[in-house]
Amino acid sequence: MAAWFDKRTLYHFDWPLLAGVLALTALGIMTLLSAAYAGRQGWVEPVVVRQLLWAALGTVLLLGAALSDYRKLAAAAYPFYGLALALLAAVAVGGREMGGSRRWLSLGVFRLEPSELMKLALVVVLARYFSREPPAGGWRGRHLLVPALLIAPAAALVMKQPDLGTALVLLMAGATVIFGGGLRLRTGLGIVLSVALSMPLAWHELKPYQRARLESFVNPQADPLRSGYHLIQSEIAIGAGGALGKGFLKGTQARLNFLPERRTDFIFSVFAEEFGFFGATLLLAVYAAMVWRGLAVARRARERFGALLALGFTSIILWQVVINVGMASGLLPVVGIPLPFVSYGGTSLVAMMFGVGLIISVNIRRYLF
Amino acid sequence: MNSGWRRRAARIGALAAMLCGLLGLVLLRLILLVSVDGAELVKLARVEHTSALKLAAVRGAIVDRSGRPLALSAQAQSVYARSAALLGRTTSAERARLARALGASPARVEALLRRGAPFVWLGRQLEPAKAAQVGKLGLAGVGLVTEYRRFYPEGALAGSVVGLAGLDGQGLSGVELRYDATVRGAPVKLRLYHDALGHQMLYAPVASDQAVVGARLELTLDLSLQALAERELRDEVAASGARAASAVVLDPFSGELLVLANVSAQADPQDGRLHDGAIQDAFEPGSTIKGILAAIALADGVVRPQTRIFCEQGKFRVDKAVIHDEGRHGWLELGDILEVSSNIGAAKIALALGARRYYDGLVAFGFGHKSGIDLPGEASGLLGGLRQWRRVGLATRGFGQGLAVTPLQLAVAYAAVANGGAIVRPYVVKAAYDSAGSAIFRQTPQVLRRAISPAVAHTVNTLLRRTVAGQHGTAHLAQVADFTVAGKTGTAQMVDFRARRYLKGRSVASFVGFLPAEAPRLVVLVVLYDVGPGHFGGLVAAPVFREIAAAALRGLNVAAPGPRFVEASLLGAVSEGAGQQASSAAGIEAADLSARSLAPAAADGRAPDFAGLSLRRALVLARRLGVTVSASGHGYVVRQEPLPGTSLSGHSLALFLAPDGRDGRPASRPSKTVGRANRARRRASG
Repeated sequence: MAAWFDKRTLYHFDWPLLAGVLALTALGIMTLLSAAYAGRQGWVEPVVVRQLLWAALGTVLLLGAALSDYRKLAAAAYPFYGLALALLAAVAVGGREMGGSRRWLSLGVFRLEPSELMKLALVVVLARYFSREPPAGGWRGRHLLVPALLIAPAAALVMKQPDLGTALVLLMAGATVIFGGGLRLRTGLGIVLSVALSMPLAWHELKPYQRARLESFVNPQADPLRSGYHLIQSEIAIGAGGALGKGFLKGTQARLNFLPERRTDFIFSVFAEEFGFFGATLLLAVYAAMVWRGLAVARRARERFGALLALGFTSIILWQVVINVGMASGLLPVVGIPLPFVSYGGTSLVAMMFGVGLIISVNIRRYLF
Repeated sequence: MNSGWRRRAARIGALAAMLCGLLGLVLLRLILLVSVDGAELVKLARVEHTSALKLAAVRGAIVDRSGRPLALSAQAQSVYARSAALLGRTTSAERARLARALGASPARVEALLRRGAPFVWLGRQLEPAKAAQVGKLGLAGVGLVTEYRRFYPEGALAGSVVGLAGLDGQGLSGVELRYDATVRGAPVKLRLYHDALGHQMLYAPVASDQAVVGARLELTLDLSLQALAERELRDEVAASGARAASAVVLDPFSGELLVLANVSAQADPQDGRLHDGAIQDAFEPGSTIKGILAAIALADGVVRPQTRIFCEQGKFRVDKAVIHDEGRHGWLELGDILEVSSNIGAAKIALALGARRYYDGLVAFGFGHKSGIDLPGEASGLLGGLRQWRRVGLATRGFGQGLAVTPLQLAVAYAAVANGGAIVRPYVVKAAYDSAGSAIFRQTPQVLRRAISPAVAHTVNTLLRRTVAGQHGTAHLAQVADFTVAGKTGTAQMVDFRARRYLKGRSVASFVGFLPAEAPRLVVLVVLYDVGPGHFGGLVAAPVFREIAAAALRGLNVAAPGPRFVEASLLGAVSEGAGQQASSAAGIEAADLSARSLAPAAADGRAPDFAGLSLRRALVLARRLGVTVSASGHGYVVRQEPLPGTSLSGHSLALFLAPDGRDGRPASRPSKTVGRANRARRRASG
């Protein structure tokens, strides 16, 4: 690494990935404008301004991560994970409670959501763990002890906030890294089976509101004004949007306050109402392209740490999109989870952008050594 | 390394496949939502997001038959306050200024605001000056809205018919209530977005329908006549000490009400707008029912005009009860019974009719059920169950005690006598017009059923004239100059409903009649409630009847069938005609006619003998006397009322004709001398 900055850096910079991130972020801020719009002329909601600031910070971090060597992260993996876990523990002790759950740490001018950092940290630490070549036939059960010890406390703390969606993403992203890292297929199958069998037990561990959500997923009309309300209103928004949508700032479902959590978890419904089925398809296409790109980076990466890093971050994007859109359209039960780059939430946006920066970095380094 | 890379590639390929699968699933779900459930979801969204707001249209005017306004609406400002904002953002001195501008005490306004309601009306439909003053203060939390205020430019006049509309433009009584939907019009309907909490987005209506201004209602009432009637009633109430009075003027052929007046001795802050005694209060009619009884009995055939009934010399015992007459009467015909208003005669007729037939007859005349007038709250009156119509009950009902009728019912029943037997549906609203002036609807006169035959109606018509014109008639004061009146007085005892007995010395005095009797144009009814002793219907109600009836005839330009404009020419024509007949009889008759001394008849007010004259000649004679004639039958005059030589004070004459000139009834009444004269003349003309 003779020169820190190499001409090839720009040459191999993954511009489509960056373009995708920026496009999604811009769409997100646009939709946020609509979701936050209260009918007052010439009034820009403070959340939009904040999100713009976060996007600027995220872009800087993305570029920084892309241009620096991701391999330096391998050494910092465990401390990074430790820091994220400590923050999560701090949330559990002295976090700020909003809307019935304790997810944020108040840091003066802004609030930090450590569970979003944990997504990054968990992928980094697991990538680090599985960066060794696997034994012949793949990783076995005993090799999974350390990863399990890494995943479990993080997922448990997030679950206790409670934030079922993020916990689910942590598990799914972790599983993806393990799978991509060379898990023996038979072991993987065993894990999947045992998880499926333990589902009834997990039912008892769920909070009453989470159970109600699962029940209302099966039959939303059972309680249309409470547990079924989110899903019904979201489906109305998507359905009322039709093929071409109602037009920017014209979505009544969101504007008239019927759609709950429309800046965060249900922002996709706002978007779908205003831009219709075609808009939604376009949005999903951008995600698909990014994920495709991310998987390609993982596939071509020079060494395992970079590959797993790219795979992990890509999988976070994938899982969040699938869970979020699946939830908004009634395909999955309602679990709170942000739509990457689009939902309001600074920590999430910055963390996701940083993650994409790392993917780009992996792609660049493929040629640099 | 190579194998590891290959495995990694395979796994990433698997993940890519999974990605495609998952996104495909999501896409499929979206397609389903938009296409299959789309229509339903779009509808749900519309239902959920919008709501309707109605802004009242301006209420239509109510005018009388000649277009004079009785009710109008005009814009007025109302002041409201949002209590919290007003209390929180103004000083008490400012609020005191607001109270002064409203013309209220600061303490009262303060109390209103502190009652805890978020929205308070401080003043509804204020005078423009007051509203402007409040607006100038410009206080936070105080707002002005424009509403429509209802004005009644004629004040209490016809108040009970027009009724009342509330502050929010809703009909509360009278025509205002009955025709509320028509007068109110269709409100402006705004379809507005509203948010999840129900706040309406006023700045951007989704859609709006144009308001339909309330219709203008044209009443059948004649305001000048109504005013006169109310004035006369008020004067009479004051003079007689009555508690209240009502008057009805009805067109017997169409059912149009020209007057429906109610006057109360006590001042009513609502100007009597909430109650219409003429259709909502039932009273025991007393003797006025006798005219109807006569009609029912004649239609039934149980009596004929000539049937004589013994009136027991003023005292008649039915079971344990004793019925009295004013005065002692012996044998009376139906006409006499009506003329002197004999209770005993009426009781005997009722007994002869029997409960069932009398009851059915009254029902056919419209008693005991609603007349169907287009006003709310009409009373049915009370006939009582047939079980009460035993001996005494039936006898007293014969002279109108023991049953209750509304003034309107009585007027409608007499209208049937006047119009030849048809029960018409009375109404007060003639037509409704939209803002462009075209009629939305017009009331058409409606005959509900026939109560009696024209012949019976005519007979009763003739008999009822004796009340006014007859020598012993009870209502000479009802006489209207130049016109013949047919009618009946009533002086009924009042029931103390609580004690279930009659009140001593208190009565309801009434007169109901129609005129001109020969060709009725109007039915007029006057009722005075709760008058003291000695105030008979013929004394207190009849004069009011006269004033109202005379004014009504003037208003309708009804020509008096007097001699003034026909005398010379018609008499000449008849003389010529008589000459042309060139028969031997003609000369005699002409001589006979001229031989009769008409001047003395007119001077001393006695009726000449018409017997044996043809109708044409009888009419000529009558015109010269200034007497109105009603004739029945054809041929030659065989009988007359009043009798020859008796007083002609009523200015009306009933003639009965027969083809052979022979009176079919048993000779009884005409005095022998007159009878002989008749016979002599008949011989001469034959």
